[in-house]
Amino acid sequence: MAAKFAYTTALLGCALIPSAFANDDVLKQTGNARQWAMQAGNMQNQRYSGLKQITKDNVKNLRVAWTFSTGVLRGHEGGPLVIGDMLYIHSPFPNKVFAIGLEDQQIKWKYEPKQDPTVIPVMCCDTVNRGLAYAEGKIFLQQADTTLVALDAKTGKELWKVKNGDPKKGETNTNAPHIFKNKVFTGISGGEFGVRGFVAAYDINTGKLAWKGYSTGPDNEMLIDPGKTMTWTDGKMAPVGADSSLKTWQGDQWKIGGGTTWGWYSYDPKLNLMYYGSGNPSTWNPVQRPGDNKWSMTIWARDVDSGQVKWVYQMTPHDEWDFDGVNEMILADGVNVKGKPRNVLVHFDRNGFAYTLDRATGELLVAEKYDPAVNWATHVDMKTGRPQVVAKYSTQANGQDVNSKGVCPAALGSKDQQPAAFNPANKHFYVPTNHVCMDYEPFKVEYSAGQPYVGATLSMYPAPGSHGGMGNFIVWDAGAGKIVQSKAEKFSVWSGALVTAGGVACYGTLEGYVKCVDANDINKELYKFKTPSGIIGNLNTWEYKGKQYIGVLSGIGGWAGIGMAAGLEKDTDGLGAVGGYKELNKYTQLGGVLTVFALP
Amino acid sequence: MLLVVPHPVALADEPLYKVEGGNKVDKATLEGWRTWRALACERCHGPKQEGLVGPSLLESLRRLTKDEFKETLMKGRPEKGMPNFDGSKMVTENLDGLYAYLKGRSDGAIQPGRLEELK
Repeated sequence: MAAKFAYTTALLGCALIPSAFANDDVLKQTGNARQWAMQAGNMQNQRYSGLKQITKDNVKNLRVAWTFSTGVLRGHEGGPLVIGDMLYIHSPFPNKVFAIGLEDQQIKWKYEPKQDPTVIPVMCCDTVNRGLAYAEGKIFLQQADTTLVALDAKTGKELWKVKNGDPKKGETNTNAPHIFKNKVFTGISGGEFGVRGFVAAYDINTGKLAWKGYSTGPDNEMLIDPGKTMTWTDGKMAPVGADSSLKTWQGDQWKIGGGTTWGWYSYDPKLNLMYYGSGNPSTWNPVQRPGDNKWSMTIWARDVDSGQVKWVYQMTPHDEWDFDGVNEMILADGVNVKGKPRNVLVHFDRNGFAYTLDRATGELLVAEKYDPAVNWATHVDMKTGRPQVVAKYSTQANGQDVNSKGVCPAALGSKDQQPAAFNPANKHFYVPTNHVCMDYEPFKVEYSAGQPYVGATLSMYPAPGSHGGMGNFIVWDAGAGKIVQSKAEKFSVWSGALVTAGGVACYGTLEGYVKCVDANDINKELYKFKTPSGIIGNLNTWEYKGKQYIGVLSGIGGWAGIGMAAGLEKDTDGLGAVGGYKELNKYTQLGGVLTVFALP
Repeated sequence: MLLVVPHPVALADEPLYKVEGGNKVDKATLEGWRTWRALACERCHGPKQEGLVGPSLLESLRRLTKDEFKETLMKGRPEKGMPNFDGSKMVTENLDGLYAYLKGRSDGAIQPGRLEELK
């Protein structure tokens, strides 16, 4: 009886409020350009704002309106959310959350979770967090120790929390949670600890797990239907077939096979599909894991309700360079591909290729290099969809304990997680990039739960024979697969870009500059301001009481800030590599600060 | 070839490590370097042990006793980001070699980077 009663009530509920889904709220909030209600500004991951008070003509007059210290050192990624008259900002471990009133910049509430510090070393070497999510009066925090927590946005009171993974196995979280429909989506980090990647969907009201889809393993655990899940095959879409992952691994390696999921997800409400990328296969030593290692390094399209995989596309089969596929998936409409307007998914991969796919079908439309330095593959074969690897840069072919030199890009990728922006006015993408190459020497490693499982030493340095810098800010035509413009930077551009209806594009630099350029000519630098520390956070914008603001976290850290370089053969080798990022010491020190700009 | 042999520890007759030409070392020290490499210690301590997010081991090894070194490896310093490696078979089996390698680096007798076995 009780069951029948509940069923009737549920039906009634549906009939009375047929579209009472949380995404209605988030869609409403993100549809209001005066707010910044998702980390990427909207569900399409566009990092675009319709605000136009700050223009290319007046941006030179920007002033600092107010600043706020998080009181935390280490790398500050992500950015502020603004909903109504409140701003929400987070910090790296210990993952503090502050709610700040926009009227008086007072801290309305503060939340600091208690986390076991043993999680810090498993995040080696930086304890970044890419920010908060908002829906229906709740703030969602994905803690480093994998606890996902919902807070009352007005008071900071804990509403529910759930464990998403186990740090003892090397599972941690750095990603922002994402809200699509009535679920909060999160992933997992730990590709360097042999973690098996997955995406999990939790109910926003209760924290109850709705579904979980792995990146590797048996079809049912990946939520792949062998007859219905499609992939690009011989110039067309075809079903993946049975055991599409298991067949591409030796033995049980898939159980510790990586494919982690710490990037920026997007959602198409009409197709009801969410999109994200899976990371590198574990270990970094390719010799230890023969096969294509599916579905690591893959673009995924899943139904948000069931988690069922609609289509997949593997960018880097059998990775040999740590080219994680986690970077953001940007959804854009009406992009001109070979004379036809297409509704596409655009992805700038770590491997140096930018991919344009039909986001409904998964059809591969464009795959071109977005940095001319990229040399590990000549091109992507458009029929097979596979990169054509250059033998001398194949760390697999060269073998274990051999140093493969001069591979471009470096493991950092031509771009890492720092998200690009889409400008609907000209349909171009504004991309913060790395211009770094590497030497890569794989070696044999044994797996031990919770211990590093890397298996390669790397040395990184600025792309040789170029401008000497380690970064570029570029404009990309995703229909043609061509760089429209490129602006050289001394260091990697490790900050999420912002484009506005005012015709400006802004980004941060590792030295700590906020720079705004003319969106129609990015070599016209219109504004520059030195924040207290290097910037690896993303620029967001909002309006309060008639005034447009731009806010960004500074706080050097992350992979680029750490300046990883290793595998030196002689004492003098690789000084360029170490020297490259080490020179950052001349410009910046640690320390997390939110800086907010406005016109006078 | 210059053979560098450090001062013997305590009453032991065997030197802590043997090194020739800066990059050829005894078997145990070589395994110590391989352990350093496999556990990705350079991610925090730098490729030349000079320190990055973690402290310089060139400095630390001048200060720490062997017992303190072992304790740090086994128990970690989690609040500072140093893992406990008592769960790693490779570390527990090669603790002496790892100590010898890092001591050799700290003494300036062993070069950074790849090593070979001294035959």
